[in-house]
Amino acid sequence: MKTMAVVLATGAAATAFVVAAVLAEQRGGEAAAQDVTFLGEPVTAEEIALGQDLYAANCASCHGDNLEGQADWMRRLDNGRMPAPPHDETGHTWHHADRQLFIITRLGVGGVVPGYDSDMPAFKDVLTDEQIRAVFAFIKSTWPERQRTFQADVTANDEGDS
Amino acid sequence: MARNPIPAPSRATMSASGSPQGFLHQTRRGFLSASLTAVGLLALPAALRPAKSASFPAMALAFDGKALLVAGATLSRSDDAGRTQSTLPGPDGILALATHPERPGRVVAGLASGRVAISQDGGRTWKDRVIGNGEGAVDTVTMSAGQPDMMYAAIRGDGIWKSEDAGRNWSLAMDRPWLDNAERDLRALASVDLATGMGGIWIYAGTDTGITRVPDCFCRWQDVQPGNAMDALVAGDAPPPEAPLPSGEPVRALAGAHTASETLYAALPSGVWSSRDAGVVWSRLTSGDASAVAVNPIDPEHIVAALDGGLKQSRDRGTTWFALSTS
Repeated sequence: MKTMAVVLATGAAATAFVVAAVLAEQRGGEAAAQDVTFLGEPVTAEEIALGQDLYAANCASCHGDNLEGQADWMRRLDNGRMPAPPHDETGHTWHHADRQLFIITRLGVGGVVPGYDSDMPAFKDVLTDEQIRAVFAFIKSTWPERQRTFQADVTANDEGDS
Repeated sequence: MARNPIPAPSRATMSASGSPQGFLHQTRRGFLSASLTAVGLLALPAALRPAKSASFPAMALAFDGKALLVAGATLSRSDDAGRTQSTLPGPDGILALATHPERPGRVVAGLASGRVAISQDGGRTWKDRVIGNGEGAVDTVTMSAGQPDMMYAAIRGDGIWKSEDAGRNWSLAMDRPWLDNAERDLRALASVDLATGMGGIWIYAGTDTGITRVPDCFCRWQDVQPGNAMDALVAGDAPPPEAPLPSGEPVRALAGAHTASETLYAALPSGVWSSRDAGVVWSRLTSGDASAVAVNPIDPEHIVAALDGGLKQSRDRGTTWFALSTS
């Protein structure tokens, strides 16, 4: 009987581990700080933690508590503008170089696409450059490795062009 | 040269296409106009008549290798530059055609029925499938220049859809562009193999109000700008020169030359236009009511256009044009 209980407990623990691993994989990366850079500099665990708080306070209302974006984000709003996209791996944030992400956040989308109408405000008077960096430290830490690697290549190419 | 009496309908290209909306809803005036023009054409000397084709009015053009596909009332294929042609059992209501040099024999057709049809044997047999809810016509289709199994299709009144598995499964990629305070249907698509700076390439689109483009990550529709426009903006420099397509004209078809990514051709009511710098500066190659254009992937100097109700071709990238006669 005791043996049976041990077997069952072990099995349950193993199942829980597998489920947790699968959920973590589905959720994204949760990468360690040393795996994340922004604008060429490694980020710290403290920056990621700060960025998570800043994201919750400044970004989550549009981009979602879990970075999932607004519902139907590929469909245009009545005002002609596009909804806030996800910042997780289902969106397109990871297609943009660090420099673009920084400019868009600081200046709004018009900073990279002149004249583009967007509900995304400029955050230059809301967040400091260091705080913007922390937000992206957090966002990038949630990406799976494939997306982080892709975005690192995009960033490297962008830096090569500049 | 007689003009096509029917509001130029079409779209297509080597890897792009287009077709005017409303073609399937011709008016009584249009019918009378067509009839009168047809009577007038009979009185013209044969040399002045537009080249005839079993597929006119041409809705779409595409090259499958060196073979020319013409979709209109019927689908036809010519393997000898138009000297002879064979009629193929294509699906009904083809509005657009797309092919890819790296997938010989594969032809994608956008259909008025809201489906896409795909042939793997140069248009001889087809399989079709619904995209989205199937309620909107598939006005234009294209294949990714860099990933031939990636397909894009634009649904009228809806948006652009993509398939990453050669047409088996489709998902919404993005809504239609917002131009001049309204959403605009996509009349033509062309995948242009130029880096966006976002790890991908551009998709150009023709609309009723001109040309626009979106990176293939589908972050946002945006105007065509010189490659260094952003740097100039940041530096406060004068913007690079631009010569856009004429405003207010529908862009019915777009075609790219796979061997020269920055070269684009566009079919408009005012003629066939060309750009050598990915759509920043355009010049008119020939005037006339152009409804479709395609570039021969084997010989990029060879361009075919549906122009003024007939097919014309150029062997020198659009400098001189002559009728493409079909038997």
